[in-house]
Amino acid sequence: MITLGHDIKNPLLEEVNKRSGENILHCYQCGKCAATCPVSDHMDFPPREIMQLVKINRKEAIFAANSTWFCLTCSACSGRCPREIDIPRVMETLRHMSIEENFSLGSKKVKDIRRFHEIFIDMVKKYGRNYELRMMAEFNIRTRNLFKDMHLAPKAILKGKIKLLPGAKVKSAKAIKRMYEVAEKLEKSK
Amino acid sequence: MKKLTYFPGCSAHGTSEEFDHTLQKVMKSLEVELEEIPDWNCCGATSAHAMTENLAMALPMRNLVLAERMDNQVVGIPCASCYSRMKTAKHELEAHPELARKLKEIVEEGEFKGTVDVKSMLQYCYEDIGLEQIKSLVKKPLTGLKLACYYGCLLTRPKDVTQFDSPEYPMSMDRIVEALGAKATEFDYKTECCGASFSISNTEVVIDLSGKILEMAKESGAHAIVVACPLCQSNLDMRQPDIEKKQGIKYGIPVIYFTQLMALAFGYPVSDLKPGKHIIPIEPALAHIGEVTEEAPKKVAKPKKAVEAESEEN
Repeated sequence: MITLGHDIKNPLLEEVNKRSGENILHCYQCGKCAATCPVSDHMDFPPREIMQLVKINRKEAIFAANSTWFCLTCSACSGRCPREIDIPRVMETLRHMSIEENFSLGSKKVKDIRRFHEIFIDMVKKYGRNYELRMMAEFNIRTRNLFKDMHLAPKAILKGKIKLLPGAKVKSAKAIKRMYEVAEKLEKSK
Repeated sequence: MKKLTYFPGCSAHGTSEEFDHTLQKVMKSLEVELEEIPDWNCCGATSAHAMTENLAMALPMRNLVLAERMDNQVVGIPCASCYSRMKTAKHELEAHPELARKLKEIVEEGEFKGTVDVKSMLQYCYEDIGLEQIKSLVKKPLTGLKLACYYGCLLTRPKDVTQFDSPEYPMSMDRIVEALGAKATEFDYKTECCGASFSISNTEVVIDLSGKILEMAKESGAHAIVVACPLCQSNLDMRQPDIEKKQGIKYGIPVIYFTQLMALAFGYPVSDLKPGKHIIPIEPALAHIGEVTEEAPKKVAKPKKAVEAESEEN
């Protein structure tokens, strides 16, 4: 099999393979993933190109692109990959790497997605559970877009879709807090 | 009376109250006692696994450990995202002992031994309860109602994790609604992604993806879309007016949980379905129940491409 970068030193390929447990060299660029992916059209590089960029050690290009952040982990690609590569896993590994390396994010959309995840994770840390309305409000404040989705709010609240008050807080909030602390510590000591 | 460990998930007390409510009713009729995991926490979907490796495993693992302390063999989960996180955690922890060792440090509740299985409520209804028992409880058949069964991504994918139904063209929900007397339409978009957790942070993508699903459901001739996931429901229902505005098409197609339909067929009144929760009203679709449809002789539907090719030849 012809694979680019096969005998040249490729630290990106090495790290991605090791952390994801997949072998990107198995990819023969058939493009089935890109054709299947529902967000291909919205990505800077569709999944097929991300795989190729890993093979040729182009870390910065991948980190600067929106692709890993736009991946929905729907697994449509991996289900159809003839080489049975877990592509969402690879996308996730690359995203985690860019977070750990504090890579500064490009587009506002990507920043929004990251902000949303951060708010969600913080909320679970605080309450042990997710509280939808507060999350939406905090997202609007922190992305400086106060009126986003406000047209949905009255109906959603009236219909009891989203609650104004937080639900039951997990009793062992302490255990969750500890879980976060240990998880963070282990992540850093990697 | 059967017993089932139950993980309701955060949305059960918010956006998907009608799912939880009808599920409780239906399980009562089916003589299944739901035992909620005491002091469960959010599974982290989808943000935890988007951002960190450890929390992605630790949050669902704590629930699994708590579930294991109970006497039942299965945890039933209504939400597809929660189900996916819990099943993935189980799968990974069992496959990688070194990961399980690391996680033991993070989750103070103890280690996961792998003695409970994780199933979506759709899977539980289909496999553990079965169509025969469902059929036997139908008091008010849903005859005349045409439904597009929408599974989304996570109930059947990834295949080696879920080990349930087909990742390409699942049929379990179709068979359940047919057991209730309704007709499942041929619906090609049943496993396409709705845009999931991008509802708030990347709304354009949700409008695009969910829009295609509504379009295909309508084209299949369905009166309503049936779902088994709170995120799919809210994207297709709550975002539907935005999609209609963007596309300039009026769909008005309600998005109903399969448990709401089971409850209805089992004889519960419409008010028990909590119809007020829906942004697109469900009553117009339910009005089709009892309609006599002319049953055309069964013919094998030709793929669209073949039909097009034929018409070109002519």
